Parts: sequence; structure tokens; C-alpha cells
Amino acid sequence: MDVFFNQAFAGLSMASILLMVALGLAIIYGAMGVINLAHGEFVMLGAYSAWLLQSYLGLGILASLPLIFLMVGLIGLAVERGVVRWLYHRPLDTILATWGIGIVLQQLVRMGVGSDSRYVARPTILDGNVAIGGVVMSNYRIFLVFFSLSVLAATWYLLTRTEFGTKLRAVIQNKEISECYGIRTDRIYALAFAYGAGLAGIAGALVTPLVSVTPGMGTYLVVDAFLVVIVGGVGSLLGTAVASGLVGEATALFSFLMNDTLGRVAVLLAIIMLIRFKPQGLFPDKVRR
Amino acid sequence: MNRNFSFDCIGYALFALLLLVVVPWGLGFDGFELNTFARYLTLGMVAMALALSWGCAGILNLGQAATFGLGAYIMAMHLKLKASVNMPDGMPDFMGWTNVESLPWFWEPFHSLPVTIAAGLLVPAAVAAVMGIFMFRGRITGVFVAIITLAFLVAIQLVFVEEQRYTGGENGLTGLAPLELFGWTADNYSLSFYYFVAGCLICALVLALALVRSKVGLVLRAIKENPDRVRFFGYDVARYETLAFCASAAIAGWAGMLYVLVLEFASPTYMGVPFSLAIVIWCAVGGRDSLVAAALGGIIVNMLEGRLSDLFVDGWTLFLGMLFILVVLVMPRGLFGVFHGALARVIAFYRQARLERRESLAISRSVVSGTHDKGGR
Amino acid sequence: MKRRDFLKGVTATGAVGVAGFPGIWIKRQGAWAANGEIPVGVLFSLTGAVAVVESTLHDACMMAIEEINDNGGIHGMRLKPHVEDPASDPATFADRARRLVIRDRCVSVFGSYTSASRQAVLPVVEGRNNLYWYPTLYEGRECSRNVMYGGAVPNQQQQEFVPWLAENFGGRFYLIGNNYVYPREENNVCKIILDRIGGEPVHEEYVPMGHSDFSSVINRIRREQPDVIFCTLVGDSDVAFQRQFHAAGFDPDQLPVASLTRSEVEVKAIGGEAAAGHFSSAPYFMGHQSGENERFVEAYLRKYGQDQVTHFVSEAAYFQVYQFKAALEKLDPADITPEAIRDASVGLSITAPQGEVLIDENLHTHLWPKVAQWQSNGQAEVVLQSEERMAPEPYWAYEGQSCTGEGLVRG
Repeated sequence: MDVFFNQAFAGLSMASILLMVALGLAIIYGAMGVINLAHGEFVMLGAYSAWLLQSYLGLGILASLPLIFLMVGLIGLAVERGVVRWLYHRPLDTILATWGIGIVLQQLVRMGVGSDSRYVARPTILDGNVAIGGVVMSNYRIFLVFFSLSVLAATWYLLTRTEFGTKLRAVIQNKEISECYGIRTDRIYALAFAYGAGLAGIAGALVTPLVSVTPGMGTYLVVDAFLVVIVGGVGSLLGTAVASGLVGEATALFSFLMNDTLGRVAVLLAIIMLIRFKPQGLFPDKVRR
Repeated sequence: MNRNFSFDCIGYALFALLLLVVVPWGLGFDGFELNTFARYLTLGMVAMALALSWGCAGILNLGQAATFGLGAYIMAMHLKLKASVNMPDGMPDFMGWTNVESLPWFWEPFHSLPVTIAAGLLVPAAVAAVMGIFMFRGRITGVFVAIITLAFLVAIQLVFVEEQRYTGGENGLTGLAPLELFGWTADNYSLSFYYFVAGCLICALVLALALVRSKVGLVLRAIKENPDRVRFFGYDVARYETLAFCASAAIAGWAGMLYVLVLEFASPTYMGVPFSLAIVIWCAVGGRDSLVAAALGGIIVNMLEGRLSDLFVDGWTLFLGMLFILVVLVMPRGLFGVFHGALARVIAFYRQARLERRESLAISRSVVSGTHDKGGR
Repeated sequence: MKRRDFLKGVTATGAVGVAGFPGIWIKRQGAWAANGEIPVGVLFSLTGAVAVVESTLHDACMMAIEEINDNGGIHGMRLKPHVEDPASDPATFADRARRLVIRDRCVSVFGSYTSASRQAVLPVVEGRNNLYWYPTLYEGRECSRNVMYGGAVPNQQQQEFVPWLAENFGGRFYLIGNNYVYPREENNVCKIILDRIGGEPVHEEYVPMGHSDFSSVINRIRREQPDVIFCTLVGDSDVAFQRQFHAAGFDPDQLPVASLTRSEVEVKAIGGEAAAGHFSSAPYFMGHQSGENERFVEAYLRKYGQDQVTHFVSEAAYFQVYQFKAALEKLDPADITPEAIRDASVGLSITAPQGEVLIDENLHTHLWPKVAQWQSNGQAEVVLQSEERMAPEPYWAYEGQSCTGEGLVRG
């Protein structure tokens, strides 16, 4: 039984990382229909920002989170203004352009910082484990679960309870009519993109204690995160959260029953099935577009 | 329509001329350059295969590398068996290392070359057929097709890496024998080998063109514009889409088989996400609306990559990334779009000029006749 | 060549258009080393997934080349490095190797880290009878006459390591590695040794390359309660595993991670604190005490920065260039061919940072195996030093097969 709970917690912890990466992607894809393959690179930039702030200003990860959010958000803003905004009417082309952006960002980091793996210290206050019977949970992973849930809550608040959120939802539903009401759609898009990028940056900073920080670290994440967004349903925060949970737990379950490789294959096949039979996602957007 | 067709013919003839005459001559028949260019041609071929489904039928397949890799592995299995005849049981060396008892049944048929070649075309097509029926019966379109094919690609690559006993795992199939075809041994640095690859590419192009130019192609283009209307006309849209998907997969498998001959090994990276997205980019650079342009796109981008990596060892990927961004921003329909636009403008200009000349002639004639008339009074 | 003349005739008219074509190359023939230059290829990924390690190999190799050139070269000729970036992709490796061997006519190519990339280069160097200097530890059971293997093979890493671990910590091993040839083969060897000394592999598992979430693995480790974790994870996966393993609160004195692949590069990324107390087996560690090594480390840090590290693969990438130099010095400059270099290098002994290394007739290298424990400052402290140099036996695990000067011999 302990094994079961241990594994369930492992799945939850995978889900929390996936959720933080996927949230930004969900907003960018949900709001603008942009398939952002450079999202993994935003995650990578977040990790490198954490390293930068730590090694030059001596800031710990937790303290530097707001700064990282701003830094990566600004880069996202620049990318949106520079490239993505020209492609809103051509969603499939965004796949190509953002893949190109990803290559450029990776190479820039490699040229600027070097290609060796960087070390970021983990926050020492979160050292140690909580053990309940045979179930051992790392404090840092528990923190990640709660943090990702609070990011979800903050995003929900932003989208439903603030003026920006209301405008964004209006623009998503009907861009032309929103413009008639005086909403500056291009500004809303730019801010939404920057917000998504900033979230990816935070996710990147928070995974640094668990993984290796290299220029290519984001590439692995983006495909999974994208699958989560599609499975959850476009434009549905709740869907993204539930889908991350499902994918995380399913991965943990399958990799326990088989092994990590076949576990991943099984999850991918399940995702294919889900998309085939429920292309609108688990929580389809009920608003007509 | 007819003028388009004649333009196409001219384009194809020029392309064939380029491959068969200009390139080998320009390369000075150097074995290394011929081999490198043969590699570009196979990559151009898989880009062309993608144009068949993406440009023609509007199905964006992000998993094109899966069918390419299947073709590659099938050819490599044949060549590996040929290289292992002196091993105990004729079993490839890596199987011995991973404690496989005897040659697995699905390796057996690949002793025979005809079976291998048929399988290299049919297995990818069959996989595509299953995928196609699965997706298109459910009326899955656009970005969902892209995502499903991408997930499928990741899964199939994982399986190939995992089943090291049968596939050679991360290293792939290496230590291959050269191909023997009708008594001709493929030396991948020879002119004859280059012509073999170029011939295959032109052959595949002609076949694909025949498909696009047929009634099927017409229906496919209609589906791309508006699938519902085509459905109302009583066409089975899913069947046509599956057909295009299969044809594209078969050509990709063919290209994969050639790729193994050029590089002398098969690797799971042929089924990687980066490679698969690269194919999409080649196709986009060349122009997905034209098969020959997509093939050229594959050739040009790879040539450029070769040159850039020669000139800037440090930052060549940076240039490559910027190129992709620029192409998408500035040339949404690729080189073909630019060329087509320019051509259309030139034609419009000439037609205008001819029209004006005719008009001015007519005016002058009327003036002449007018004076005549006047004079007649 | 009639067809060629015919084609030239046909296309003569198109000559103007072709003049701008980038493919007009001048063919170079004749001696391998000419004009006071010896062309050598340097083929390490500077971009892509394995650039983390390969870029350090590139640096070490280039440093040796520069040192040799600064000290007057070989026979008064300079080494001319042709640098390529194969971007961690096997197909690109094959393409760039062709460039180096065929187009640039390098007499030797120094390169690569992963087994997959070596396999991609093999058909080219074997087909053209060139020489490939491969500095990495690898899985053995390969016996090419065109590859100079500078790294350890399984018997050199494990013969002393595994019995020592079993004696000090117990014989229940948990085997974990990335899913490719090297870890599987090392684990085969490990299981053979465990079988002989009465140990037991409690679990064997492989994760995909680049895998970075080890919570399931750690849960399994908790359940199996092994004595030793025998780890052949590489690169990013190793870093991720060790950080998560440490965060899960295991005590290295009770359950040490014994790695065959972890070097100073990975430990730098893991962080000394998380790596401290665990073990690695390798022929070289940065803290090794010898005059040769002090010179090497000092020069390396001065050239590439004080925060850099040297490790057992970069050391081999460095000393292999000196082996190459020593072999060339035995030859008459007019006789320099890849084959002659290979034949001259057999039996050659030079002083490497790790000690005297010797090239066996099977083209592998006699090395000095060491077992070291990682300290919290990121350096390793040698706890077990092999008394004598160990001979490479690439087919150690395969009875009746051995790699000799004539290639693979069965029976």
C-alpha cells in the first residue's frame, strides 16, 4: 500500500511541474491559437535566469521568482512583438516560426553562457522529507504541488476577476467586436503572451533543483506540455489542470507497472485515443467562437 | 489549367536537367560531393512526400519522420542480414550481445531483396493507412492531426529505442553490407549511385505528380478548401485523405531506404522530433503548394546548412533558426510563392502590354480607317 | 569516362549558369601531409544534447594541438585542425566525418563521445581506411582496425570496482542506466562479476536518454532496499537522478551510488554537496597527483577559465593527440598515412596525466583504474588505486572471443 501512495505522490509531483509549464502554453494557445514550440526555451531561459541571479546577485530561487517572471516575460514580449504578432491569421505557420525562435534562443544562450550544465542550489529551507508511515515525500516536491496550484488559482483570478482578464476573454470570443468596443487587441495579445512566457520562466526556475540546466533542457518538456493542453481542452484552465494530473498519475502508474519507457509510450497512446475521440478536450469551451 | 500544366512540365524538366546534368557536372564528379548531394536529394524526397499530404490535401503530418524511419530500418535490416551471413545462425551481432536465441520471425523475410523493397514502400503505407482511417473517419483535422501524428512519432521512436534486442536501440543498425541490385553493387561514392538516387527522386516526383493531376488530386484540393462541401457532393472525404496520407508515407519510406544507402546506417534519430520538424521546414521553405518546389526546398536548406556549418562552425544553428523565422514571416508560401508571384506579375505585365498594344493598334487602325473614311467622304 | 565527356559536352552550354554554383571544388591528391601542414579532423559536438560533455573534449583536444604547434610541431610541420560541429546528431556525424576524411584529407580524426556517434562514423573511416581517435570509455566488444580507443572498456572499470563495492557495502546491486548499448553491456559485465563473487542484481532498469524525472525509480529503490546503486546514467539524466536521489534523503554511507560515467563535469552540475560520499570508477580524476597532471590542469584552467574542470574523457582527448604525435615522430614525413600511423602507435608508451599509458596491439589503451569518492568541494578522493596498469580486454565478457592485432579472433 505504501508503494501505491509513494507512486501516487510521484505522479502528483510530475503533474505539478507539467501544470506549470502547460499553464503558460494553455494561455498562449487558448487566447491566440499560437502553437508555441519555443515554450520549452522560455522554461530554459527561466532556469538560466535563476542561475544568473544566484551566481551574480546571490539570490535564492524563491526570492528571485518575481524577477525571473519579469525577465522571461519581457523576452516573451519581445518575441511576440518581433515575430508572433505577424502570424495570428496563420496558426500552423506559428509552429515553424516558434521552432526557429527556439533554435535561436538556444544558440544565443549557448554562445553567451556556454554549453556546460549549470548548477543552481536548491532552497535549503525546503530540505528534508515528510514521512507518513512508509510514504516518504520530499518537502520540495510538496512545495511544488502547492505552488503550482496557487499559480493556477492566480491565473484563474487574473482571467475572471480583473479588467485585463475580462478584456482577454472578450478578445478570445470575438476579436472584431472587442475592437469596436475600444479594446486594444494587439496590446492584450502581447500581454497574454508575455504572461504565458513568464509562467514558463517560473516553471524553469523551480525545476532547476531537480534537473540539469543546459541549453537544450526545454525541448523535452514542450511536447508533453502541448499534449496536456490539447487533452485538457482549448482555453480551459480547469481542463489543463485535470489533464496534467491525469498525465502525471498515468505516467507514474504505467512506469510502475512496466518501466519508464513503456510507461511513456502507453501514456502517449492513451493521449492519441483521447484526442481522437474527444478532440475538443476533456473540458470543451462552451462558448461559441 | 492547361497553362499551369505546361508550366509544371517545364518546371519538372528543368528540375530533372538540374539533377541529372548540371549537378554532377558542377560537382566535378567528385565522389564525396556526389555522396553529399545524394543525401540532399533523399531529404528533398521526403520533403516532397510531405508536400503531397500537406500542400495537396492540407494534412499537416508532424510525424513524417516515422514513415521515413520505417523505410530506413527495413532497408537496413536487409543489409544487416547480408552483412551477418558469416555469423552463427546468420544472426546480426547485436542480437547475440543482447541474448536473443534465434533470428526473430519478423527479420526472416528481409533476406530477400524484393520483399525488402516492397516492404519499404508498403509497411509505411500500411501504418499510414491505419493512422489515416483512425483519424480521418473521426473527421480530425488541422492542428489535431498535427498533434496526433507528433505523439505517434514520439511513441514509435521510444519503442524502437526500447526494443534494443530487435532494433539495435539507440545506436541503430550499423555495420551494413552494400546493396546489390541486379548484379550492380551500390558504391555510395560513385556517379552511378548518384544517378540511382536522382532517378528514384524523379520517378517518385512523376508518380506523385500523376496522383496530383488525376481526379483524385482535384478532389483532394477541393477537400483542402472545404471538406464539408466535398462531403455534400457525396465523396468519401476520409478515403481520399487516407489515400494521400498513404501515398505520402510510401514515398517517405522510399526516401528512408535511400537514406540508409547513402549514410550506411540506420538510427532512431531518423524518427526524432527535431528531424520531423525539419522536414516540415524544408517543405515550407520550398513551398508546400508545389511538389517540385518542396523537393528543392529540402535540397536548398540542406545545402545551405552544409555551407553555413562550413563557414561558421560556432553559430551556424543561429543562422538556420533565423532563416526559418524570416521565411515564415516574409515568404509565407515559400520560394515557390515568391517565384509564382513574380511569374504572375511578369505574365500580367506582358498581357497588359499586349492588350495595350492591341488596343493601340486597334485605335491607330480605327484612326487610319477613320481618316480613310473621312477621306472617303 | 566516355559518359563523362558526353555529359560535359551536353552541359558546356550551361557553363555560365553553373559558374556560380557552390559545388566547384578543387580536387586535392598526393601526399597526406604537405606544405608544412598535417591536416587532422576535430569532430566534437558544440551544439545539441551532448555538447555539455563534448565541448570540453573539443577544448582539451584543441589545447593539445596548440601546445604541439607552439613547441615546433611534428617534424617541423604544424598540425592543421579542421573543426566541425556535428550537433549531437548521428546523421550529421556521418556527414561531417565524410567531409574531414574525404574532402579535407585528414590523416586522422579526433572525435565523439556517444557510442551512437562512433557507430555513425565507423563506415566512413573503415571504408576509407582512415584513423579515428575515440577518447571515451565505451562498452567494448568492438575491434575495428581503424579506431584508436583511448578510454576504458568494461574490464578496466569494473574488475576491481564491483568486488570492492560488494565487500564494503554488500552484494545486492540495483542496476540503473540510460537505455542504450553502453549501460546494458556494462550491466552484463557487472552481473557476471556479481555472479562470481556471490552478489545479486536486485533490479535492472533503463530509462530513455534525457529522462529527468526519477520519482518512480526512487520509489522502487525504497522498496527493493539494495546495498549499492550501480549507475550508468549519462549526462543530464545522471545529474537529475543524483539531485533527486539526494533530495529524497538517502545516506551515502548506507546506500552509495556507484557510477561508471560520473566525472567532474556531472558533479559540477549536480553540486558537490549532493554528490558527496558517492563513488566513481575511472582511470583519471582531476585531483590526481602527478607532475604531468598538474601541468595539464593548470594549462587547461588558464586557457578556458578557473571554473572549468578536467575529467577522465577530456584527459584521454588530450593525451591521444600526444600519442598521435609520438606515432608520427616514429615515421618518415613522406610515409605518413593513416595506416602507418596506426602501425607505429602499437606498443607506444607515453606519460599521460594519469600515468604511463600504452597502446595495445588491439588498439585499445592500457590504463590505471581508480576508484574515488566524491567530496563536497566537487573533487574526487581516490580510495582504491590499482597496483598495476590494467590491460584492455574488449571481449572480456565473451568467452572464446578476443580482440587482437589481427582483429577479432573466435575460438
